[in-house]
Amino acid sequence: MKYFVCVLAILSVSWLAPGSFCEAMNLEAADATGPELPFVYTNWKHFTVKDGLPNDHVFALKNDGTRVWVGTEDGLACIDKLTGKIRSWNEKDGLPWRVVSALEVNPKTGELWIGLFGGGLARFSGGRFDHWNQLNSGLVNDVVYGVAVENDNIWAATTAGASRYNTISGEWTIYTEKNAPMEEIWNYGVCYNDGKVHLGVWGSGVLEFDVATERWKDYLDPDGEMEIDLYRDDGIVHVITTGTSYVEGILWVSTYFGMSRYDGRNWRGYYAHETGLPSDFGNAVKGRNGNEAWFATDKGVGVVADFETDTWVTYTMDPNTHGGKAVVSRGKDVIKTVDMPKCIPHNYALWVDFDGNDVWVGTSKGVGWAKGSGYYERLR
Amino acid sequence: MRRHVTILCSILLLGAFSCSSVKKQMAASAEPSVEIDSETREVLERINAVSAYEVPDLDLREDADYAKTAHQFEPFRHVEPYREHFLVQMEYTGPGRAIPEPENIETVKLGFIGPIMSTVSVATGGKSHEEPLGIKMLQGARLAVEQANAKGGYLKRNIPFELVVTNDNGLWGASGNEIVNMAYKDKVWAILGTIDGANSHIAIRVALKAEVVMMNSGDTDPTFIETNIPWVVRCISDDRQQGYLLVDYLYRKLKYTRVAIMRSSNRYGRFGVREVRDGSRRLGCPVVLEMAYDLGLEDFSLQLERIREADVEAVVHWGDASEGARILKQIRAMGMEQPYFACDRCLSDEFVEIAGDSAEGVICTYPWNPTRRSSRLEEFRKAFRQRFGEEAETFASHAYDGMNMVIWAIQVAGLNRAKIRDVLAHRTRSWEGVTGDIVLSAALDDVGDVYLAKREDGRWNFYSREDLKIPSGPIRAEGQATQPLATAQYR
Repeated sequence: MKYFVCVLAILSVSWLAPGSFCEAMNLEAADATGPELPFVYTNWKHFTVKDGLPNDHVFALKNDGTRVWVGTEDGLACIDKLTGKIRSWNEKDGLPWRVVSALEVNPKTGELWIGLFGGGLARFSGGRFDHWNQLNSGLVNDVVYGVAVENDNIWAATTAGASRYNTISGEWTIYTEKNAPMEEIWNYGVCYNDGKVHLGVWGSGVLEFDVATERWKDYLDPDGEMEIDLYRDDGIVHVITTGTSYVEGILWVSTYFGMSRYDGRNWRGYYAHETGLPSDFGNAVKGRNGNEAWFATDKGVGVVADFETDTWVTYTMDPNTHGGKAVVSRGKDVIKTVDMPKCIPHNYALWVDFDGNDVWVGTSKGVGWAKGSGYYERLR
Repeated sequence: MRRHVTILCSILLLGAFSCSSVKKQMAASAEPSVEIDSETREVLERINAVSAYEVPDLDLREDADYAKTAHQFEPFRHVEPYREHFLVQMEYTGPGRAIPEPENIETVKLGFIGPIMSTVSVATGGKSHEEPLGIKMLQGARLAVEQANAKGGYLKRNIPFELVVTNDNGLWGASGNEIVNMAYKDKVWAILGTIDGANSHIAIRVALKAEVVMMNSGDTDPTFIETNIPWVVRCISDDRQQGYLLVDYLYRKLKYTRVAIMRSSNRYGRFGVREVRDGSRRLGCPVVLEMAYDLGLEDFSLQLERIREADVEAVVHWGDASEGARILKQIRAMGMEQPYFACDRCLSDEFVEIAGDSAEGVICTYPWNPTRRSSRLEEFRKAFRQRFGEEAETFASHAYDGMNMVIWAIQVAGLNRAKIRDVLAHRTRSWEGVTGDIVLSAALDDVGDVYLAKREDGRWNFYSREDLKIPSGPIRAEGQATQPLATAQYR
């Protein structure tokens, strides 16, 4: 009878606390890596409103030394990685507008640049917010989707063009269809690296701005049709682009119709039906190097872990148990499945940022911190 | 020990019982306040059963062909494309369904965005021009809200609907700010608008991020819906559908081979004629000449001289009514007698007034048949006349339908943006509107019947594809791709 009571008690505890039960059942995670396998993140920590975030709907993240900035639908937050404590700012604290859609840190000054969704552009420095909008500056529109720091210039990708603000001279430059090859002016994402600014423009593919020559180059889907992709690798898979990331001379692109990689000569398109992408609906992309990129989609996070071998790691969370799963695949062929107690906080992923070996993922339901102790590039 | 077991079992049973009671209470509170069909009830049960992390198991719309596109109109039709989009409905996979209905609200706010005040417009390169359409759209939306309030408003809580009205002033980007304000400050439950294609695109990008339904009743730009945004619904047939019908009529019915296009030099003209231009080429009769004009232009002789020199059999105009009418008058004044075809915006009193006798014989595409016999349509027109002292035209009628669809969704789903989206997006039956049956595609676009309207004896008569016996389907037999059009076998 004692044993019966014990079993019953264990069952009831497991029923009442499924999370902790699953955590206890995590046996495979430690054995996540193996020969010819990519690194798999199995150690995740979550941050939500319960931990002090102002809102769970996370639009942007930016790693900044010992802290991580979090842009949410209702305020700005800062996670102290050493203590796990979260500090937040809202309009009553001086944040010009509550919806934070983009974040970037100027490495030269340490200033945080904030893209505000309908509120313009802000700088947070020394505890003070400075604010630029379309009425008091050369910011072309207040609906800012992306921010990038290029030397002394701040780029803002807005819904009606891109603006470039020189923080030394105070000069603004506006780029629209009048002075850039923007078939449409609905800018979505912007990034800077190695002398090139890349704009992801909704309806106009990717625009590349060479800082040295100040010349533009456009990347469009060669078939020119919205309803098809005629050939997968003939160019960008679709012109409705949402994000760009340029690293080691490789351009990674996310769209709402699939993803792309460009090495300066060859394009490679990625679709969910033949890769480890959880979905073709890409909210954002972050390239770690020429071989690895993380795609935040509406059904999880897909990682090209090794471009050459088409090896993927797909991170999802079980909506019922809240446990996590990483699926390692070559193309669509599954090599290994790794269950883990925690993974991304929600499958609707909106942002990714790297932090040394660690990775931060912003979702519709909080922030996930993937700790990469022992991380290695490509395969091992 | 037995006592302990008994207590433990009792606790477990009580727990299970209380859980089922809570579920029953939740189900009861989720009971819609309007009658719904069995399929919608199934959708409702599934969306009400999920947590913030789950995605409801809902049937997704699937289309064999995007936008009912016939094979001959498919781009690169001789090659199998690597990927075809818009054939399967997009899901919303976010946590929005778990957001509880707010308690302390006095009204249910519904957003409206449209061109209702005159401004300078970047999109048109000058003074804005769509206010007459936008004001009609606002009237249609307002009437739907007022009628819903007369019937008790939001029935679940007996509070009125409130229309939050904003101006889409034509400046690119301004509509984005307005949608942000409506979504975050006014906290509207859904938005109806807009007309201008550029503003519509900006608005839906914001709607996607803010997660609020955007119902469009006035923008016929085909690319509006080609964005994979699961928050967008359109209740008016677009220029793609109208273009397909017109092209079939020009080349397959009338057997023309030389057609010129005259269009406005703005987004409406540029995107509106795409299917006409592409369809002409795909049927083997590429458009001979395409001329664009700036809005507000009075003298079109530069463009029309070139069209005359091109010796075309017909002219297709895509632009606003006033320009369309002036162009027609100048064509006739120049002695050109070619048949004149135009887009739906030219089917208006303004067009007829300016064009005068020249309007006779003009054929316009149209997204619906306003002469069809329908008691629902007659009642709407009567109510509109009583309320505004004016006649309800196409923009008012479609806005009325669109707003009624939104109101229906709110009555069914309750005050939750994601669920409002769900019941609209997963509605399996067509919406019986005053503009006809609204049938949504996998891309949530209205792919109902479109018409050609001919000005005959001083009135517009509307004809369906069947009425005019316009051929449809593949134009050439397999292996006869180079066969001349005139000898093609129809089937």
